Amino acid sequence: MLSFQEQIISDLLEDVNGGLVVLSSGLPISPILVSLIPLLPSHLTPLLLSVPDSLLPSLSPLSPLSISFDLPSHQRASLYTSGRPLILSPRILIADLLTSRCLPSSISALFLFNAHRLSDTSTESFIARLLRQTSPHNHLVPIFAFSDSPHGMVSGFAKAERLMKCLYVKRLHLWPRFHVLVSSDLETDPPEVVDIRIPMSPAMKGIQVAILEAMDACLKELRRTNKVDVEDLTVEKGLFKSFDEIVRRQLDPIWHTLGKKTKQLVSDLRTLRKLLDYLIRYDAVTYLKYLDTLRVSEGVRSMWIFANSSHKIFELAKRRVYQVVRADGSKVGLDNKATPTKKRRVTSDNKKGKEIASSSNKEIGGIVLEEVLEEPPKWKVLRELLEEIEEERSKGTKVMEEIMPREDPDSTDIVLVTCKDERSCLQLEDCILKGPQQAMRGEWEKYLLGKIELQSVFKRSKTKPKEPKGFGVIDGGIVTKKVPNESTEPNTINILENKALLAAASKISKSTIKEVETEIEATEISKPKKGRGKGKYKKNPVPDCNPQSSGVQIEEPQGQSHDLFTGASASSVVQIEEKSHSESHKSTSGGLANAKPLPPVQFYALDRDRRILEEWKPSVVIVYHPDMTFVREIEIYKAENPNRKLKVYFLFYEDSTEVQKFDASICRENSAFESLIRQKSLMMIPVDQNGRCLGPATQSTEPDSVLSNSMTRKAGGRKPLEKEVQVIVDMREFMSSLPNVLHLKGMKVIPVTLEVGDYILSPLICVERKSIGDLYQSFASGRLYHQVETMVRYYKIPVLLIEFSQDKSFSFQSASEIGDDVSPTNIISKLSLLVMHFPRLRLVWSRSLHATADIFLSLKSNQDEPDENKAMRVGVPSEDGVIENDVRAENYNTSAIEFLRRLPGVTDSNYRALMDCCNNLAELALLPVEKLAELMGSQKAARTLKEFLDAKCPTMV
Amino acid sequence: SGSGVGQNRNAILVSHRQKGNPLLKHIRNVKWVFADIVCDYLLGPSSCALYISLRYHLLHPDYLYYRIRELQKNFKLRVILCHVDLEDVLKPLQEVTKTALLHDCTLLCAWSLEECGRYLETIKVYENKPADIIREQTDTDYMSRLTHALTSIRHINKTDVVTLGSSFGSLSQVMNASMEELARCPGIGEKKVKRLYDTFHEPFKRVL
Repeated sequence: MLSFQEQIISDLLEDVNGGLVVLSSGLPISPILVSLIPLLPSHLTPLLLSVPDSLLPSLSPLSPLSISFDLPSHQRASLYTSGRPLILSPRILIADLLTSRCLPSSISALFLFNAHRLSDTSTESFIARLLRQTSPHNHLVPIFAFSDSPHGMVSGFAKAERLMKCLYVKRLHLWPRFHVLVSSDLETDPPEVVDIRIPMSPAMKGIQVAILEAMDACLKELRRTNKVDVEDLTVEKGLFKSFDEIVRRQLDPIWHTLGKKTKQLVSDLRTLRKLLDYLIRYDAVTYLKYLDTLRVSEGVRSMWIFANSSHKIFELAKRRVYQVVRADGSKVGLDNKATPTKKRRVTSDNKKGKEIASSSNKEIGGIVLEEVLEEPPKWKVLRELLEEIEEERSKGTKVMEEIMPREDPDSTDIVLVTCKDERSCLQLEDCILKGPQQAMRGEWEKYLLGKIELQSVFKRSKTKPKEPKGFGVIDGGIVTKKVPNESTEPNTINILENKALLAAASKISKSTIKEVETEIEATEISKPKKGRGKGKYKKNPVPDCNPQSSGVQIEEPQGQSHDLFTGASASSVVQIEEKSHSESHKSTSGGLANAKPLPPVQFYALDRDRRILEEWKPSVVIVYHPDMTFVREIEIYKAENPNRKLKVYFLFYEDSTEVQKFDASICRENSAFESLIRQKSLMMIPVDQNGRCLGPATQSTEPDSVLSNSMTRKAGGRKPLEKEVQVIVDMREFMSSLPNVLHLKGMKVIPVTLEVGDYILSPLICVERKSIGDLYQSFASGRLYHQVETMVRYYKIPVLLIEFSQDKSFSFQSASEIGDDVSPTNIISKLSLLVMHFPRLRLVWSRSLHATADIFLSLKSNQDEPDENKAMRVGVPSEDGVIENDVRAENYNTSAIEFLRRLPGVTDSNYRALMDCCNNLAELALLPVEKLAELMGSQKAARTLKEFLDAKCPTMV
Repeated sequence: SGSGVGQNRNAILVSHRQKGNPLLKHIRNVKWVFADIVCDYLLGPSSCALYISLRYHLLHPDYLYYRIRELQKNFKLRVILCHVDLEDVLKPLQEVTKTALLHDCTLLCAWSLEECGRYLETIKVYENKPADIIREQTDTDYMSRLTHALTSIRHINKTDVVTLGSSFGSLSQVMNASMEELARCPGIGEKKVKRLYDTFHEPFKRVL
């Protein structure tokens, strides 16, 4: 344990209320927990709420127990008094606290994580309040909240202070990386760091510039709508995910009044940010494939796709992969970039002129595909780096052994390469194993085969009179081929290009058929050695099988490009495959003459979120995709293991957004901490004479107090109303904040699982609550109609509560957006239809959560209290034999059921039978049609389902 | 009130009380005529509407209750069309809501006269319309059906649907893909992989 961590613990134990700890991202929380929890009274039970997955493995020394709704309630009740650390969700805890299955007197402390995501209306605050109200006077349950996202802690006004009040803690502990104790711990013996800057290829640079231009254009457009504050909208901020939050926070209050165009702009910006990110992470072919997919999936809607710069993105991305060349050697379709034009219309005019020129000597046979297959520049550097490391090692070992024989017996020779995602890992592994050309070729072949598949789908769909929806936008190529007479000039190039691609693809597919057997063999053999499920680990030095390393030029002369996929090159593929799986260390062909040995390499994807360093104990780490959090993890690892040698290489693309993003993330964190330090100095947390926090309700400075009526102050959490007012609440509603607010207003909240409705106010009144987003969504899915239908069936006063959000506008649309005609898509039409078909349905319009609570109170006056046992049984199908306290949502794979019910052929009447007779969806997908017919009770439905499941999916471009 | 109904079956009958209400300017898609009726707007043989502005309600808190009482029980659908023309809506809206709810009326809120007019028009125009557009829709082509099914899984977007479809060839292959195969798809991160895999492989019913 490092000294700053010890300090954190002793600070935390000083205050009986607990405390809020904010750490720099990457500084670990688990060692603190592991040392702190044993210091608490051992006969009481510590509770850990929503523990992040990444934290779980490192908590094993505490041998905690996870509780879920599966566990029968009496078992849960006995665990709460077991003294063993429990991991559970806030939903379970609040339900068990409300029903007294869990008593505060048996809890030693409550631990909360990701504190920056909490707010005064979240369930955690509800829990904190309930703990304070119901715990005996001699026992105070301390609350320890943690956050490793300082940036998330400063969004919104005085967030930290407000949060601390809701959690009833008064101490804020700030632990930035620049804290004296932290930096002295981490910098006494830091790892050796080498920073390698790699220039991007010209095409990558071009794409990056073009994307940034497109972003800029989108931002300008967004500004023109006059709906957002201009200052926050810069391209730099656009690089971060949090940019979406900034925009959303500004637009949310008016989101439902925004036009399609503005909404599209917001989503385009997100797409463009992804494109920037993927430019650095994906290879050229995959990138092109992703672009193709994008074009298919959002081509018609997006604004940016039509922008001038987006043309450049597509053109350059394509040029990194292949070029279309005329037989005489002149290039086609490349001069677009040379003549940048300002408006789209002009561009197409321009194109037209060129196309005419090209169509004069139009001969499809005259067009050939020249593959470029640009490798990511980092690949080469990574390889060289690995070779260098191995070389140094083999030189160094002898000397080392003489000087300090067993220096660090614990660390291994492993070189750890960390990437952002699983995909990059698999690919880099491929690249190291088979050589970069081969890896690129593999992606390229997959890409071309995708084309073939599309072609065959197209041929089959030809017979159908109607063209499937998704096809219209595919590069124009497909559409034109279907109706050649209608082909317009701009498509000529596309036809030729497409033909060339297909020709290349068909050659590949022929040769791959021959290969299939070998490939299957190869994968079968390579599987077992992957081992360990996720992490792939190779003990042996990776064999270098790269016979083409010098043989194949990146840019082929045109004459040869023609033959690239003929038998000759295909057979060399097979050779390599065979070599790699037989793991031959010796070079068999002349191609390997210049190969150098490599050290053992381990690839790891950061999004797997595991504490990888302790697991592998590498002596060298290559950070392939730089990431601030991981850098901190390296530092901590080194500080915890001062004896181990550790060398770290960073691979950056020079002048890329990667560098910018990395630097900016550090700045952002620092300034967040500076702001928190300022806030801390001004903070006022009220306590009583015993030093207990009083919580938020007594604060008159609360911004909410303007809205809340005298009821709030009277309730104040502490004094319940004279006559206890009860509300029965569906368990699922504890995801929302309303139960919390109802309780705050003095109502008794009874959690149960309801089949019909969300809230039962009286034996007569049943409420289905919809936020505005939910309302639109459930109208669209038809779910609302169904819900209202059942409510009307079972309750005398069925209520649809339409709840607006406090910080959004109280209206659906502005007068000007209503339009001239009655339109079936408008919310007015949908609501009208609903009330016309259910004249007994009552609507309640609420301005906010707090307003809803007041409305509930007023509706309940003069009504009887609801009966929870009755409410639970309403609408529950009797054949299920429902047991009391059965929580349906937790016992069913709801996501799978929803999916199942959306499949064609599946209906209300047959889905239960399908669920009963197969274990899961994967199994269902493999059932023969006869079996399905038997289960579904209909040949036709079974055939519809089976055909849909097995239908050939149209491949893009 | 009976005389006007027969002649003007396709028109909204408007009470003389509403004379001068600027809302009438915004009923354009349907004919309307003044008639001698108890409610403010007669929208069909068994549906009617009363108009109230929140501002007016503040001045005359009892008005709505008396108007509702006059209606008696002749109508299946009794709409209170509430024009929200105040900033501070909490108290008056709560009163109107409670009055409507306890006296079997359906409350519709509108924030502009245009919107008020549109509600009246719509209820008239849709008089005999089935509820198809708000019921669960029957799908059309393959791609939108596939999208409809796959996007029910949280975080899966349309682009992912195309990616998954084209990478695996058919839905049944997507459903039987391994975690690693799913992870190989561009744009499908760790979270999505897990969600997809769990949806397809976790049992429908979790066994205790």
